[in-house]
Amino acid sequence: MPTAISVRSLQKTFARQIAIDGLSFEVDANEFVALVGPSGCGKSTTLRIVAGLERPSSGMVRASGETVDGPVRNAAMVFQAPVLLPWRRTLSNVLFAAEMRGKRPGAFRERAKELIVLTGLDGFEHNYPHELSGGMQQRVAICRALLLDPTLLLMDEPFGALDVMTREKMGFELQRIWSETKNTVLFVTHSITEAVLLSDKVIVMTPRPGRAKAVVPVDLARPRDVGTLKDPAFVELCAAVREAL
Amino acid sequence: MKLALSLAVVLAALLAWEYGVLAAEMPEYLLPAPSVIFKKFWQTLPVQMEHLAVTAATTLAGLVMALVAGVALALVVTYVKPLQSVILPLFAAFNGIPKIAIAPLLVTWLGLGAEPKVLLAFLLALFPVFVNAATGLSEIQPDILDLARLFGGTELRIFWKVRLMNAVPYLSDAVKVAFPLALVGSIVGEFIGGNRGVGYLILSAQSNLDTPLVFASLLSITLFTSAGTSAVMLFEKLFLEWRPSRQR
Repeated sequence: MPTAISVRSLQKTFARQIAIDGLSFEVDANEFVALVGPSGCGKSTTLRIVAGLERPSSGMVRASGETVDGPVRNAAMVFQAPVLLPWRRTLSNVLFAAEMRGKRPGAFRERAKELIVLTGLDGFEHNYPHELSGGMQQRVAICRALLLDPTLLLMDEPFGALDVMTREKMGFELQRIWSETKNTVLFVTHSITEAVLLSDKVIVMTPRPGRAKAVVPVDLARPRDVGTLKDPAFVELCAAVREAL
Repeated sequence: MKLALSLAVVLAALLAWEYGVLAAEMPEYLLPAPSVIFKKFWQTLPVQMEHLAVTAATTLAGLVMALVAGVALALVVTYVKPLQSVILPLFAAFNGIPKIAIAPLLVTWLGLGAEPKVLLAFLLALFPVFVNAATGLSEIQPDILDLARLFGGTELRIFWKVRLMNAVPYLSDAVKVAFPLALVGSIVGEFIGGNRGVGYLILSAQSNLDTPLVFASLLSITLFTSAGTSAVMLFEKLFLEWRPSRQR
C-alpha cells in the first residue's frame, strides 16, 4: 500500500505554548485511521495541518507524496458541527463543493443525488438545514465532503454533537459508505469504541503537548456490526487503546 | 384574524378621534377631525402626489447611493485589513456628528435644488448600511471558509457564494432602518430650502395655518413608508425564507 499521509516530527506552538511536540505517524492509502487522545492534545490541530489549513511550526507533512504547504488537493473535511450554508437547500449544500472547485454544479447533480440516497436523506433534497435534525445535517455535510470523490477524507469528531443512538448508527453508515468509496480517512474522535469499531488503525496521542504514544492495529473482520461490539477481540482492542491513553 | 383585529383597533381610534374633536369643539387649525383630513387629502391628491414623487425620488436616490457606498466601504474594510483601523474610527467620529445639524451648511454649499436633500438622505442612510454590510460580509463561521478553501474555492468564488449571500439578510435589515432615515433626510432638506417635496408642502401649509393639509401630507408620507416597508417584506418573503428566525 502506498503511503497517503506521512507526518514527521510535527511541532506546533500557539502563543509560546507547545500544542504538538514531535508527532509522527503514517496513513496508508485507502486506510481508515482513527486519532484518539484526551481533550486539548492537538488532534484537531493535527487534522488542520494535514489538510494544509494551518502551518506546522516545524516538522514535515506529506500528502500523496507531496509536501503540504496550502489547502490539500482532493481532500475534504467534516467538522463536529455540520457548517452548512443556511440559505441553501440539501442538494445545493452538497453541490457547494463542486461550485467551490469551479465546476458546473449540473455535472455533479446525479452524484449528489446518489450520495443523498446513500446517506438516507432522500426526500429531504429540498429542505433547508434548519428543517433537518442534527444527525441529518451532519449527513448533508458528509455528502458534501464526498461529492468530489476525495482521495483524503478528514473527519474532526464528526459525530461528537450527536446522541449515542444516532452516533452509533452514523458510525455504521460511515463504514458502509467508506466500503464503497474507499478513500483514505483520518478520523479524530475521543470515543475509544468508535475508534476501534471503525478503523484499521488507532493512533493514541498523549496529553498536551501531543505526540503519538501508541499505534494499535485493528484487524477485525469487516463489515463490522452491532455484534462486533461483543466480540472478545474487539473488547480486548478497546482495552488496549484505553491502556495506552 | 390578526388583520381584522388591527383594523378594528384603527377604526375605533379614528372614531374616538372624530367624535372627541367634535365634542370638544376643537378648532380645525389645532386638530382637524379625520373626516376633514381625508377630505383634504382627496381634494389635494394631485398636488400631494406631485410633491410626494419628489420626496420619494430624493429618498430612494439617497438610499441607493448609501447602499452602493456602504457596501463598497464594507468591502474595503473586509478585504483590506490595514485600512480597517483607519476607516472605522473615522466612521465612528462621523456618526457622532448629528447630520441634521449640518443640513443648513449643505444648502449653503449646494443650493436649493435636489442635491443637498439627496446628500442628507445619503448621509443619514450610510451608517446603518455600512455597519450591517461589514458585519454580513465578515461574520462567517471560520470552518465554512476553511472548507471552501479546501474544496479549491478562490477568494472571488467565496465572495459571491458565501460572503455576499451571508450579507443579504443583514442588508435587508439595514434597509429597514436606512429607508426611514433617508426619508427624514429628504424631508428635513425640504424644510430648509426649495419649493418642492412633501417637507415643503408641510411647511407652507403650516405657515398658512392649514393644519388639515399638514395632516393630509403626513398621510401621503405614511403611504410611501408603507409601500417601502411592504417592498422589504416582500423581498424577505421571496428570498429569505431560509432564515430560521422567520419560522419560529
